[in-house]
Amino acid sequence: MFSRLTYTLRETFAGFKRNVTLTAAAIITSAVSLLIFGLTLLIQHGFDNLLQRWEGGVEMIVFVSAGTQQDGLDFIASTLQDQVNTGTVASFEYCDVACSLADADRVLAGDPTTRQLLDETNIPTLFKIVPAESTEVEFLRGLKESYQQLPSVNSVTLAEEQLDLIGKLQGFVSTYTTGLWIALMFASGLLIWNTIRTAMFARRREIEVMKLVGATDWFIRVPFMLEGLIQGLLGGVAAVGSMLFINWRWTQGVQDFPDSSGMTALVVIDGYQWTVAIIILAFGALVGMIGSGIAASRFLDV
Amino acid sequence: MIRLENVTKSYSTEVVALRDASFDIAKGEFVFLVGPSGSGKSTMLRLLNREERPERGAVWVAGRNIIDMPPSRVPHLRRNIGNIFQDYKLLSNKTVFENVAFAQEVIGKPKHVIRQQVPAVLDLVGLAGKEDRFPHQLSGGEQQRVSVARAFVNRPLILIADEPTGNLDPTTGEGIMRLLDRINKTGTTVVMATHDQRIVNTMRKRVIQLDRGVIVRDQARGVYE
Repeated sequence: MFSRLTYTLRETFAGFKRNVTLTAAAIITSAVSLLIFGLTLLIQHGFDNLLQRWEGGVEMIVFVSAGTQQDGLDFIASTLQDQVNTGTVASFEYCDVACSLADADRVLAGDPTTRQLLDETNIPTLFKIVPAESTEVEFLRGLKESYQQLPSVNSVTLAEEQLDLIGKLQGFVSTYTTGLWIALMFASGLLIWNTIRTAMFARRREIEVMKLVGATDWFIRVPFMLEGLIQGLLGGVAAVGSMLFINWRWTQGVQDFPDSSGMTALVVIDGYQWTVAIIILAFGALVGMIGSGIAASRFLDV
Repeated sequence: MIRLENVTKSYSTEVVALRDASFDIAKGEFVFLVGPSGSGKSTMLRLLNREERPERGAVWVAGRNIIDMPPSRVPHLRRNIGNIFQDYKLLSNKTVFENVAFAQEVIGKPKHVIRQQVPAVLDLVGLAGKEDRFPHQLSGGEQQRVSVARAFVNRPLILIADEPTGNLDPTTGEGIMRLLDRINKTGTTVVMATHDQRIVNTMRKRVIQLDRGVIVRDQARGVYE
């Protein structure tokens, strides 16, 4: 067992030394494709943060002025309830201080300075409203104006414009980055496959001797698969490092964007980046290992 | 030990390498396969190793028909067969010791066994003291001795030699044949394909002669005709 392990490790590292240029090319390609894969996941998560407020078909948000007393809230709630009864509004939900603070954590993730200014005493609470006719823009705008007239209402945000912009951005970015990482991942798999194939071609005599003295296919294949796995893993490590750096720079830079741009929510600081890092490492290792395994199998027919 | 029953092997409709070949080889026998190039000698050896499969017939090795053997069992079959080649097939980046040890390493023999058995077999083939040399630092005869050591180190039941003296001068070739004879006397069955008339006539072992894939002669203590 120990001698097999020693043999496998020795052969794996011998393979690395034999094909330095090809190995480096395979690692760099995997790193680039895995980086784009990771960034795609982070961007999608950032958009999810942006869209968090509008989940459940919410089309409109009524922000209540800070310091509004219970009777002010009751008045808004009863007005909305009347509209539910008359069929103007499908449903509504009150987001209290705790709920608003949790929302602020997500929406202002990229703007900690502004977030620090908000606490239980000054954060505006809000009503999330699902109108009955959510596709009628004129109807929605009329409703928005009517809410703005209510006492204790600070402002009203209509989802239409924001959702439209975010949706378009998300669709565009997701489609192209996903397409790009699939293409690059395929290229990276092919390159690792080619590296191993070249290595095996150079060692075909050795493999022939191994087969003739009774080595099993798995005994021959494992060092090559391990080589591919390490290539993918190294590509993954480089991709994770780059992704964390880009995410850090973006999080820093987004603080300079105006609040109204909505970009302050487009950051990932909730630990999701570490989940993506693990996915990248696992994915890189898997692609490298499978690519190598397929390449190795082609030379074992002795 | 080895039995071929009506074996036919062809590489295309025009090229028939073996036609309805049958013979028995007992344990501990020494058999020469002779015949001109393309007569089917190498094909026969490749069939014994399960490198090739025939269209028809059965190939029995150590009591088992290896034609039906599942691919996962083939490595185990090959552990009982040693191979010697005309071009030695040594690994140029490995020393004499490593080349021989390689045959044990790939079947998972522990290090302490390798350290014990490799020097013993190198001593048997007359290469004691040359363990650390690389193949390019050895003569052709010495390289073939390494190849014999590698084939014999796992004490196989059968030794298959494909023109082992083909690249060697007559004197060196005789040395290799003495070595194979010595191994044969330990009970190992030896099957050797050769063109070397002098060796066959000197050794006077069983001779199976092939011509265009057909066995035309099977003679005990035969000569090269």
